[in-house]
Amino acid sequence: MKPVKFSTFLFTMLVGLIFQLYPWSNAGVIIRPDFLLVIMLYWLLQAPYHCNIGWVWFAGLLVDLSTGSLLGQHALTFAITGFLGLIYQRRLVLFNPWQLYLYVIFLFGVQRGLILLLKLFAGSEVPDWTYALPVVSDLILWQCMVIWFGELTRPKKL
Amino acid sequence: MLKGIHQQLDPQESPAFFIQGPKPFSRLMFFCTLSLVMMAVDARFDYLSQVRQWFNTALHPLEVLASAPNEWGRNINTYFTSHNQLIQDNFKLKQQALIDNAALQRLATVDAENAHLRTLLAGDAPIIPQATLGEVLHMGRDPFSNIITLNRGSRHHITAGQAVVDEQGVIGQITRVYTFTSEVTLITDKKLSIPIQIERNQLRAIAFGEGKRNTLDIPYLPTSVDIKVGDKLVTSGIDGVYPAGLAVAVVTQIKQSQDSPFAKIISRPIAGVNNHKHVLILKIPDTPAATPSTENKQVLPRNNAQHLDQSVVEVLQKNNAAVDPHPATETPVLDAPSTEPGVAATPLGTTMTAPDTGTAPIAPEHP
Repeated sequence: MKPVKFSTFLFTMLVGLIFQLYPWSNAGVIIRPDFLLVIMLYWLLQAPYHCNIGWVWFAGLLVDLSTGSLLGQHALTFAITGFLGLIYQRRLVLFNPWQLYLYVIFLFGVQRGLILLLKLFAGSEVPDWTYALPVVSDLILWQCMVIWFGELTRPKKL
Repeated sequence: MLKGIHQQLDPQESPAFFIQGPKPFSRLMFFCTLSLVMMAVDARFDYLSQVRQWFNTALHPLEVLASAPNEWGRNINTYFTSHNQLIQDNFKLKQQALIDNAALQRLATVDAENAHLRTLLAGDAPIIPQATLGEVLHMGRDPFSNIITLNRGSRHHITAGQAVVDEQGVIGQITRVYTFTSEVTLITDKKLSIPIQIERNQLRAIAFGEGKRNTLDIPYLPTSVDIKVGDKLVTSGIDGVYPAGLAVAVVTQIKQSQDSPFAKIISRPIAGVNNHKHVLILKIPDTPAATPSTENKQVLPRNNAQHLDQSVVEVLQKNNAAVDPHPATETPVLDAPSTEPGVAATPLGTTMTAPDTGTAPIAPEHP
């Protein structure tokens, strides 16, 4: 498989940002996936030569700016989630799809959990169960990314 | 030999540490520190608001692009609105306009009368708020905060702190202003409190948002307080942000418990906090302390109130003359602020108190 072009990576990031900026209505906000997180995680695992933790962090910063939340919150959680993905990157690409889904769900869950923790520190109230719903839509978006840009590349057998 | 193998490998297949520069962990540590510092700076200081503004202005084209499909959908919808619907709407609006006009005629008279009475009582001029129409862009992207974004920003002379209302009542307050947009924190947000008054008995209190429950809480009122379910809460206007008399909420529930000296009073916002497209952004009323008397005068509606308060001053001067045999010492105090014709509220206030207090300091001068 050919290496992904840098422009492809940047383009998907831009598209993710536009979807992030879309004026979501009430129900939309509840089920909206974290577009930038999914896209960045995918590239982090698929194309680590383009996307590193710095890029993931930057994407988090963009989310912070677009939501108007405390600057650095999403950036921090994105960076930590990205790191958790990256340290297993060598093994993740060898997983079968179900194992991979589980791990990816874990990563999305970690990100939402971290945001929740930060928000609770800042004095927000505990949200209801619908807060966990975007993990599902995240997974759907992940599957879309896999369909469009291919399964995570396994190393060739030498 | 080894070198040869490396040249054959695809970039993504060579081990991570050859390509990624610094180790992921050191990267993580660097960015974690950076974001923690940013969070601290953003929470405590005001340095980053400018950065935020630049970014937001830069993101504006993307934002417009992102909301374009929505805009098209609405335009198409508008285009296909049936003729019948339009006629019906037009009829309804005409009727409403008629009713409103009749009410407005009465309001003008009452306004003038109110201005008279206020000048007579040496009160402040009534505040007539000016407003800008704004459109809701989206309901906030952060599920944790009750924020809506409007399509009016610093370009349209919006400043943070302005009150936002719809046709039924208060929605919230502008908390962050960007170049083209601004953020409104809803009154149901936990961070926002609003000074209110119970319409029925003018009891003043402060209502706090309760977050996602979409209700307001009025704490610190004793259990014996005179509040009933169904009481309407209006803004009291004592904070200088919200003009007095705007509808805020209706009391829905009063709980009195044995173990607390305070009643738990829950109320529901009147304004359609979550279901409006257009809102009004009110100008912050000038606080009486900050306004010089001349500005106060401009706020007064055009009527004969000025002649009236001139005559009030004359009467007071006569009174002073009667009390004090030597009004010469008194007059500079009286006339200094009132060199312009039409004395407004603040100088009048001093003249009103003059007869009581004026005699005491003057007495030693004229034994």
